[in-house]
Amino acid sequence: MDSIIEFVITLLKPLGVTEPVFQFMLVSAILGLSIYLTLYTGMFSLASAGFMAIGAYFGVAATQFWHLPLGLGLIIGMLAAGLIAIPIGLPVLRLKDIYLAIATIGFGEVVNVVILNFDDVVAAILTAVQGERVRFRLIEGARGIKNIPRLTETQYLVFFLIIVGFFITRLHRSRFGRSMAAIRDDERAAANMGINVTYVKNIVFILSAMLAAAAGVFSAHLTRIITPDAYGFDRAVDILSFAVLGGTSTWVGPIVGGMTLTALPETLRAVNQYRGVFTGMVLLAVILFLPGGLVDPAGLRATIRRVRSRLRRAAESQGAT
Amino acid sequence: MDTFFQQLINALSLGAIYGLFALGYALVFSVLGVLNLAHSAVFMTGAFFGLVLIDKLQLPLIVAFPLAMIGAGLVSVALEFIAFRPLRRRGAPRISQLISSIGASILLVSITQLLFQNLYGGTDAYFPRGLVPDEPILLGGLRIVPIRVIILIAALGMMVILQAVVSRTQIGQHMRAVAFNQRVAALLGINVGRVFVTTFFIAGALGGAAGMLYGLVFLNVSPFIGSDVALVGLTAIVLGGLGSINGAVLGGILVAALQTFSTAIGGSSYRNIVVFGILFLLLLVRPQGLLGQPDSTRT
Amino acid sequence: MVRRVFALILVLALLAPAVMAQDEEVLQMGFWEECEDPAGLPETVTIGAIFAQSGAASVYGISQSQAVDLAVAEINELAYLGEGVTLEVIYADSAGDKEQAIAAMTKLVEEDGVVAVLGPTLSSEAFSADPIAQENGVPVMGVSNTAAGITDMGDFVFRDSLPESAVIPGTIAQATEALSLTQVAVLYGNDDDFTISGYDVFVEALEANYVEILAEATFAKGDVDFSAQLTTLLGTNPEALVISALAAEATQIIVQARQAGYTGPIIGGNGLNSPAVLTNSGEASEGVIVGAAWNIASPEALSTAFIEAYSAAYEDAKPDQFAAQAYTGAWLMATAIRCGDSAESLAIRDSLAEIVDFPSPLGMFSFDEDRNPVHTPVVQIATGGAFAVLGAEMTEE
Repeated sequence: MDSIIEFVITLLKPLGVTEPVFQFMLVSAILGLSIYLTLYTGMFSLASAGFMAIGAYFGVAATQFWHLPLGLGLIIGMLAAGLIAIPIGLPVLRLKDIYLAIATIGFGEVVNVVILNFDDVVAAILTAVQGERVRFRLIEGARGIKNIPRLTETQYLVFFLIIVGFFITRLHRSRFGRSMAAIRDDERAAANMGINVTYVKNIVFILSAMLAAAAGVFSAHLTRIITPDAYGFDRAVDILSFAVLGGTSTWVGPIVGGMTLTALPETLRAVNQYRGVFTGMVLLAVILFLPGGLVDPAGLRATIRRVRSRLRRAAESQGAT
Repeated sequence: MDTFFQQLINALSLGAIYGLFALGYALVFSVLGVLNLAHSAVFMTGAFFGLVLIDKLQLPLIVAFPLAMIGAGLVSVALEFIAFRPLRRRGAPRISQLISSIGASILLVSITQLLFQNLYGGTDAYFPRGLVPDEPILLGGLRIVPIRVIILIAALGMMVILQAVVSRTQIGQHMRAVAFNQRVAALLGINVGRVFVTTFFIAGALGGAAGMLYGLVFLNVSPFIGSDVALVGLTAIVLGGLGSINGAVLGGILVAALQTFSTAIGGSSYRNIVVFGILFLLLLVRPQGLLGQPDSTRT
Repeated sequence: MVRRVFALILVLALLAPAVMAQDEEVLQMGFWEECEDPAGLPETVTIGAIFAQSGAASVYGISQSQAVDLAVAEINELAYLGEGVTLEVIYADSAGDKEQAIAAMTKLVEEDGVVAVLGPTLSSEAFSADPIAQENGVPVMGVSNTAAGITDMGDFVFRDSLPESAVIPGTIAQATEALSLTQVAVLYGNDDDFTISGYDVFVEALEANYVEILAEATFAKGDVDFSAQLTTLLGTNPEALVISALAAEATQIIVQARQAGYTGPIIGGNGLNSPAVLTNSGEASEGVIVGAAWNIASPEALSTAFIEAYSAAYEDAKPDQFAAQAYTGAWLMATAIRCGDSAESLAIRDSLAEIVDFPSPLGMFSFDEDRNPVHTPVVQIATGGAFAVLGAEMTEE
């Protein structure tokens, strides 16, 4: 496994990809899958960034405060996100389209505020209880939690992706997966067919939250310091871009989208100043000209059919003259 | 009581800016049915144009202001042609147009970043002070800063003009017709494409005006002021009701009031929670907002 | 190009008297008498520099890049590393993003094989990226990292930027004495690691000087309206207002505090150390006290020379503290290479750690045993729209 990974990294070297960049690409792939699940069910949710933060902070608490290994930290982070997703999902998932998007953006902001002020709130409570001013510092708010050891290895990320990919493939073929697609196509019809729409949507939301949290745990142990400003609106838009760029008709799409968008700033180091402009243009170009994203088997088949029929007609008209 | 009125004035002037900004969202949404998430970038562009016109080209405020508005309006029209029209032609779902506007927004902010760096050697710049008088006037127990009152008047004035345009002029009539039903409007001979362009222009001009007012009061301009105000704008139109123009203004003032008073009571750390808390509650209880139609907000 | 040449000519012109009059005060960065000319260096010595040249922190990163360019040009012109030896810098943009900082450090250290690194711009980037340099045995020097615990990452991690914990205590001590402070109010940003760390140090310093904190209030980055907080704080009638904020918010706070009728002193941390803050707050800035590592009004001869060279090279732009620290950092690195007479990373590290009493625009500079900077900070007060040293203003009265 190690040598395969090394080989892949060596292949990507000319594109400016080194091992840390590759690791971040894999984290982006996980985030892409997180938003893929909700988009596949027709939910325009931007909550992945907030759940990534929850995963990161709980995961770091597990490894740094309770001195647990990374595997347990991963499980704790995912569990925390999954549990929090339940009371959030139930009310919010009844909303549609842009309202759901705004509500989930709001959720992300609330997570941000909680992280920033947690210590102060606890300090205020302790001060009220003890009568004298107490200063409390645990998750450090804006200062961030630093000196996190680099526990994430490339193998872990690859294994995780493989397992999740396998799981998603099974999911697509299952009844549950077909319910997801049915809900996306027409929610009312799905309900009429006897699908428990609320149940399906909430489960998907929870799964998506857990994936985002896993990405958060992995990423925290790569960047070695976590600050709340890394998980805000900008991150949510980034994650959405992964799915848009890669396409959402297959689960491979967001992986490709995530890895490409993460590698792009490194590849474009030569045109340093214009990296932001390039990224924006790429995104816009894909939306306008490749509406199915980069990985669009259906679109590709349609294009091939068109090209083939055009060639056939050209050949026929040539033969006729 | 003095403090309350003091805060009220602050909230009103801030709310006027938010309302003016949210109007742009509401206008495009009611006529085209899509949310233009690049509007916040247009807001920032208005401030940027104003800054360059005043700071680099030394134009007086009275000339720079309308020029900045026109510039922002043109940028908004460019957005329509680049990010919305091609998708509409293709019959793409509304979500695609939304995402396209996000992409356009990223592009616009990146380009402005480059311009900022070339002109100012960084991404921070300041409006020169004193363009509008800002020495406080004492009135009873209140200290009123003229610039805030001027902003309130300017914003309200523009809203009144907009209202007049929408209800009295022919183009306003056409806009309302298209907002009501595109197909019928086209059958009646209205040039729907032209209406769209006009809508984007007006929305952009208002957004740009909001940006300039923001810059005049708060002085600091950067390519990132758009994202600060984007969430506020979205909250404002959801609060007020997504398609309602009056709702946008009401929403803007409400959000400003919520922000100001929650900061006064509890400190500014929690004001986002207050604002989004109210937003959540509203979405659950009355998702069409205060002035909106109870149509298809739920599934 | 013409400006570059002009700058070099200026440098040489300024050098001439310094070379000829060795006993006089050091007027220009140059050959530190402590070391002899190096003999064993290769033709090119390459160091790396990670700065935020795009994104929200680019206002600092661009300033730092320009300062390093200036320093390197001077170093090469003087043949500081020996005849025929050139110092080169490979820049990498981190855009203020931790992930890109890690990628940049990996590229510089593993791909480009630099022997030392300057930067990164932000402390949070440093916490992410410096461990890579440490693991690879490459010395890295922060020139703008002020958070606590930077050099704890390892013995290859240095910084020449005085942390707030070194500047603020002196500021508070001097201000307390000069103004006879007993009660203050504190306003700070709680969503930025710089401002909240500054707040931590302010609180400690105030308590150490027996100054009572009457009230505290917070704001967030990007806030433009502080009237609510100011109303609360000023209602307690403090003798001084202590603020920990970045430049944009600080400007607004100063303006709005004056608009609210407050005429007393305002004490701030390094976020206020910018001529832009004074210019943009206008008359409201009168009486603002700022503690900083470097001030454009510094009386140091090398500081004046640096300001002239920078202005000449960059179209009359005035350097800020980031530029001064980056410039000094580049000179420190070159000095370590020169004095160690080696382009090996380990030797550079050892040589860097031994630097004591190095004359620089920041003053007499030394590294302490934790590789943190040691030099005298400046406490300044704004009078008439410009900064003046607090002590000097006192003696005039």
